[in-house]
Amino acid sequence: MKTLIKNLLKKELILLFCSMLFVQGIIAQNEITVQGKVISANDGSAIPFTSILVKGTTIGTEADIDGNFSLNAPSNAILQISFLGFKSVEVPINGQTNLTISLEEDLAALDEVVVVGYGSQLRKDLTGAISTVKSEEIQKRQVTTIAEGLQGLVTGVKVRGGGRPGQEANIEIRGLKNLQNANPLYVIDGLITTANRDFNPNDIESIQVLKDASAAAIYGSRAANGVIIITTKQGKQGPLQIAVSAKTSVTSMPRYNLMETDEFAKFQFQAYDNGNRERPKLNLNVNTDWQDEVFDTGLIRDYNVSFAGGGENSSYFMSGNYFGNKGTVVSTEFDRISFRVNTSGKKGIFSIGQNLAISNSVTDEMSGAPIIDVYRLFPTIPVYDDRNPGGYGYGEQGVANTFGTNPLALADFNDTENKNFRIRGNLWSELEFRPWLTYRFNFGYNSSFDTHKNLRKLGNWTLNQPYDNSSTFQNKGRYELILIENTLNFKKEFGNHNVTALVGQTYQSDFYEQIWGQKRGLLINPGTGEYYDVLDSGSEPQVGGFREESSLISYLARLEYNYDDRYLLNAVIRRDGSSRFSDDHKWSNFPSVSLGWRISNESFFNVEAISDLKFRASYGELGSGNIGPYESQGFINTFGAIVLGNSQDLYPSATQVRLSNPNLTWERLKQTNIGIDLGLFDNSLTLAADYFIARTEDVLFGFPLLLTTGNDGGNPIANAATIENRGFEFDLSYRKSYGDFSFNTSLNFTKLNNKLISLGNNQNDTFSGNTKTEAGQPVGMWYVLQTDGLFQSQQEILDYKSSDGSVIMPNAQPGDIRFKDINDDGEINNEDKEVVSSPWPEFEMGFNFGAEYKNFDFSMNWIASHGATVYNGFRSVVDRFDDDSNYRSGIRPWTPENPNTDFPRIVRGTTLNARGDSDRFLEDGSFIRLKYIGFGYNLPTELMEKIGFSRARLSFSAQNIITFTKYTGLDPEFSNGNIFQRGADIDAFPNLKTYTLGVEFSF
Amino acid sequence: MKKISIVLTVVISLFWTVSCHDDLDLSSPNALTTDQFWATESDAQQGVNSIYAMFYKEGTWARWMYFRLDLTSDEGYSDSPWIELADWTRFNYINYNFWEGNVNTWRDTYKAIFRCNQVLSNVPDIDFQNEADKKAIIAQAKFFRAFYYYYAALLWEDVPIILEPSDPLDKPQQNTLSEVWVQIEKDLNEAFPDLPLTWGANDVGRPDKGAAKAMLAKTYMQQRKWDEAKTALDFLVTGEGAKYSLVDNYKDNFTDINENNSESVFEIQYGDQRKGGTGESTDAAVSTNRPQFFAPNGIGWSDGRARFWLVDAFKNEKDKNGGIDSRLRATLFYPDLYKDFGDKVYNRDWQWGDKESWFRKGARDYYRDNEDYFSQVNYRLIRYADILLRYAEVLNEQGKTSEAYQYVDMVRERANMVPLSIAYPEIGNDKDKFLERLKIERVLELAGESVRWGDLKRWGDLDNQTKVDKIAERDPDFNNFIVGKHHRLPIPQVDVENNPNLNQHPEY
Repeated sequence: MKTLIKNLLKKELILLFCSMLFVQGIIAQNEITVQGKVISANDGSAIPFTSILVKGTTIGTEADIDGNFSLNAPSNAILQISFLGFKSVEVPINGQTNLTISLEEDLAALDEVVVVGYGSQLRKDLTGAISTVKSEEIQKRQVTTIAEGLQGLVTGVKVRGGGRPGQEANIEIRGLKNLQNANPLYVIDGLITTANRDFNPNDIESIQVLKDASAAAIYGSRAANGVIIITTKQGKQGPLQIAVSAKTSVTSMPRYNLMETDEFAKFQFQAYDNGNRERPKLNLNVNTDWQDEVFDTGLIRDYNVSFAGGGENSSYFMSGNYFGNKGTVVSTEFDRISFRVNTSGKKGIFSIGQNLAISNSVTDEMSGAPIIDVYRLFPTIPVYDDRNPGGYGYGEQGVANTFGTNPLALADFNDTENKNFRIRGNLWSELEFRPWLTYRFNFGYNSSFDTHKNLRKLGNWTLNQPYDNSSTFQNKGRYELILIENTLNFKKEFGNHNVTALVGQTYQSDFYEQIWGQKRGLLINPGTGEYYDVLDSGSEPQVGGFREESSLISYLARLEYNYDDRYLLNAVIRRDGSSRFSDDHKWSNFPSVSLGWRISNESFFNVEAISDLKFRASYGELGSGNIGPYESQGFINTFGAIVLGNSQDLYPSATQVRLSNPNLTWERLKQTNIGIDLGLFDNSLTLAADYFIARTEDVLFGFPLLLTTGNDGGNPIANAATIENRGFEFDLSYRKSYGDFSFNTSLNFTKLNNKLISLGNNQNDTFSGNTKTEAGQPVGMWYVLQTDGLFQSQQEILDYKSSDGSVIMPNAQPGDIRFKDINDDGEINNEDKEVVSSPWPEFEMGFNFGAEYKNFDFSMNWIASHGATVYNGFRSVVDRFDDDSNYRSGIRPWTPENPNTDFPRIVRGTTLNARGDSDRFLEDGSFIRLKYIGFGYNLPTELMEKIGFSRARLSFSAQNIITFTKYTGLDPEFSNGNIFQRGADIDAFPNLKTYTLGVEFSF
Repeated sequence: MKKISIVLTVVISLFWTVSCHDDLDLSSPNALTTDQFWATESDAQQGVNSIYAMFYKEGTWARWMYFRLDLTSDEGYSDSPWIELADWTRFNYINYNFWEGNVNTWRDTYKAIFRCNQVLSNVPDIDFQNEADKKAIIAQAKFFRAFYYYYAALLWEDVPIILEPSDPLDKPQQNTLSEVWVQIEKDLNEAFPDLPLTWGANDVGRPDKGAAKAMLAKTYMQQRKWDEAKTALDFLVTGEGAKYSLVDNYKDNFTDINENNSESVFEIQYGDQRKGGTGESTDAAVSTNRPQFFAPNGIGWSDGRARFWLVDAFKNEKDKNGGIDSRLRATLFYPDLYKDFGDKVYNRDWQWGDKESWFRKGARDYYRDNEDYFSQVNYRLIRYADILLRYAEVLNEQGKTSEAYQYVDMVRERANMVPLSIAYPEIGNDKDKFLERLKIERVLELAGESVRWGDLKRWGDLDNQTKVDKIAERDPDFNNFIVGKHHRLPIPQVDVENNPNLNQHPEY
């Protein structure tokens, strides 16, 4: 392989020198000077910066800001005029010296340039499944990360976020294809990275989502979860353009409907009476609304300013952004300041450019689980209570028997702050040896400096809490990624044969190191009561640190072939070597091939209504080496110590705690995709539909080992499973304009079937919470006891027998839940659990509508999910009554006087009624949600010109304001990071209702 | 200029291409790999020490073992608001994968065995200056392997015997209880000759010959092999290992004040130097959580309580001075503690129920008003008093009842109780009556010291309904007890389902 690359590079060099010797020349022939103006066919307005090329030559120019251009060309030449979003035209000069060229808007955007990784293609030439998202669609929403902005806009892309400040949304492209990390690969301006909360979404120019294997294959081993390519804004030729935007949002939490003291006391006493227990001495004089205490209106501010411009051979773009989010939960906040500078320059065949972003973010993290604690705490508990250490109210034995945490106390006594300073950017240079041959060098760099600080003050937040000294834990870490890429691009037409080829080599290294320290018994300033939260303060010092490195070397090649815009071929091969695997398993090849047939361009195809029709098919293999850097090695844990001797001193201990798997190898995704692109009625109605089978083999995951191995410290990663996702998705869109009014609408639909084909370690199944994952079934199916109504009488209890005649639930009382004795053994136990339903939606949909009338515009996005069964963690706590919590207001539990209810008898103490592992708390998680609705108004141009602005816009929008669902938890659109319990809504932070006012202007 | 930049670009990129090629071989800068370890005496020493570190894990003696042995027995119970946790102390085993009640202890048992097996597999290949040191290390590992199988046999009975270091794909064979007992005996018998009679001052806390014989005796007794048990116990009571004596102050067995005293046969060493969790992190604790979980509510988690019949049992017989048996004071917190002995509860007046009582052994109320997860009080797992009562039991079973009296009396004497024959002359040489009395003597001396569950099993008190009904009179949790089922725990279902060589107990 080494030799191959060396040879390749030798060739590169030869080519380089050849090209240097080559002198370009153009022979002029009957040249005249042509002047012209490019305007929009729609409204006659000037189109600035269109590119004008003399056909068959490299002579060209660009129109100025007013659409005017001038160039010298042969009098018989043909001009090619093109601009993004408009149909390209060819205009013969025919000796004219003054031309007015009008361009029609390209509604179907078939000529849209799609960035495909190490290059770009026109949409019409695509053979893989690639979706593009316009930056405005994301920027109009109020989002912390890009992922949230994609929700409902792209078929096959599932996003689940939440409203905690700084919370990063989970994104999943075409299903759960592995079991470790479903997040796709982000490529920002050629830099392989993550689009986390450090990234300013306002800088985005365009987003492409590479969904199938052939599209993503060029990213080989990193692309198994799909790829999101983000291009940031670049300056355009012309004078300085300044754009300013300010968005301010208010956010609010959804609320539980909980009992107040009077109602609460009635039911708590009833439960204690039923359990034959002494009633607690509830403090009936207190009526605390914990939601009022803990939840507040949130505020998001997003201020952005950008400067862009450029000359003939250079461009620049600069932006600054402040994003602040004061959370809806007490003591939570996220602040980000970011800057970006993108520049590029060109001289002859050499061009160079750079993209650089610097950001600093500070997060006051949420402490504990306030989403749960607001209902675990009783209304009878005061917020403050001087009798407790620290002065906050919480449970009290015999008075308020709850172990709920006072979130205000926790936020006060155990506060965590994270800071990240990040530099992210790349430097590239290109040599255009010939118009058809380009060499590109790309150097990417991403580094973050992370600071974590936790301060534990003295004071308690829950009943029976053990004494804990004050302490501070701090760590500082640095992450660094270096990326070096060399690519050579060949692009040439031979008659009807259009060939594009790419070869390249890349190297990436990842590095992270951290040091941490901890001290206890911190000094307190006697005057102010403040803690000295530096590591100099206090006693019992502890320090630690670690370092992780990994590297990846890849070789890649791609061939794109297009015959007469009818037959399309795209073939990719990538070879990856990763340091994460042992020597025998480091290298693997990832090939893909895709084909397209643009049948609408065939001469025999003559259907008037169909303006475009293309069939696509692809197969590809992608990899993932998404594991820790040293996962294949077994290590000795030397952290332990033991007490020995008369003086009870510490002595060191060392042993292997965690087993390892030396034979780890690449996870491999094999994906087949069949698709169709259809354009009707001059492409005003378009349809893109895809069917795919994605099978992931050797899935890298740490399935639980047998407990008898004694393994601890995490399950060793193994090539542990095979997962299959089959899916169907389509995107239907329609656009139309009537004079001043235009609208567009689109509907996207995704149906996905997930199945675990086999499980690792020769195991049959694995359990997590109330779910079971077994071979042949989807991941994380609900595995619970089944309820069968309530016993209404003692007779019903005695009559409830197994087939051998034994009374199944002899200890039950009227009003208790009847559970199904599935295995008919005469008792209710673990063996009666069955897989009852799926946490996976049957399908998900997005509906988007946008309209413009004169200066007004309107748009909205709806999302829908149908058929998932979800576990309502909230109800599983407040409806159980064996433990203590607040309860749902308005419940009507079974009593002899009120037998017509589905809510069982409430009993404090042992009872099957309280079991969390039953279908009682499973609910239909289907929902339809208005994710976004917005109105905008562009101030009239005449007015703008008077005040010297080129554009000004006001907008008002709202997010998450209307939801149709039967789900009774806070938010059906919740996320659970545990892949096996994705349907369990335990303490998910809900999506917030958000109202945003925005102002934008540019000059 | 143009050429320079072009050439520069190419040269730089070439440089990177070539230089980065060896970068795929990266090893961890953070820790020793398994094949770098097990080379020196120090490695062997640290390796065997890691077995002791298992005492600080939740599934073993840092926490849940007390729930299995003390609270499941008729001495204790749980009224935890965490219902499932309490259910696992009262034979309501529904979810066999319940971590705290079952799986954690099973896993940590095998985690300890894995550590023993690492030592036993690797240390023989290490060169030692002094062969005796090597043998002693191997002997310790064998002792502890037997130790953990002993408690596994007590809890689950038919468990897989694993004698080699674990591999991720292991699917071990299940063994019968009698096979497990044989393995335990083998390990202990092999450990015994290579363990010292007494450890040096810095190594106190490691098992010595006496500890090995004591474990061996316990193993034989559970199998009712009285003759073998007698021989093993002889070593401690009358033989060359008879170095033990009862401490004057009974309470010295339950505080950090007089640890590793003359009564201690095997003692788990705890400290509070490290305040991390029970895991494997850099500051992993070396403590027991027991008092935090057993302390009365308002002080600790209050998950474990003592049955009130214990209070009455102590009060049935006055001491030589007509006073209350002083062992009650050290054993329990109960409503009349202040009236009887003048002790408050962690400096608080009695604020719990009239019929509530709490375990006091290991509680740190003698110097503090609260508890935490970091108790440094050593746990005297085998005390000489236990050995003496066992010796008496074995002699009685052998028909040597009259010889047995003296050993019971040694224990009674320390508690200032009159000799057994004077207090209960009706027993005489009646073997059954003697045993029945001995059962009470063991409770009075050893309540809350994790021996009761094994006692009940050994005595056959869990083998028939009449006897179980009798226990249920003092511990209503035994109303849930099904004879032939609840004498052992269900095997964690997750292992049963994923190991074709392992079957769930048929009764579960």
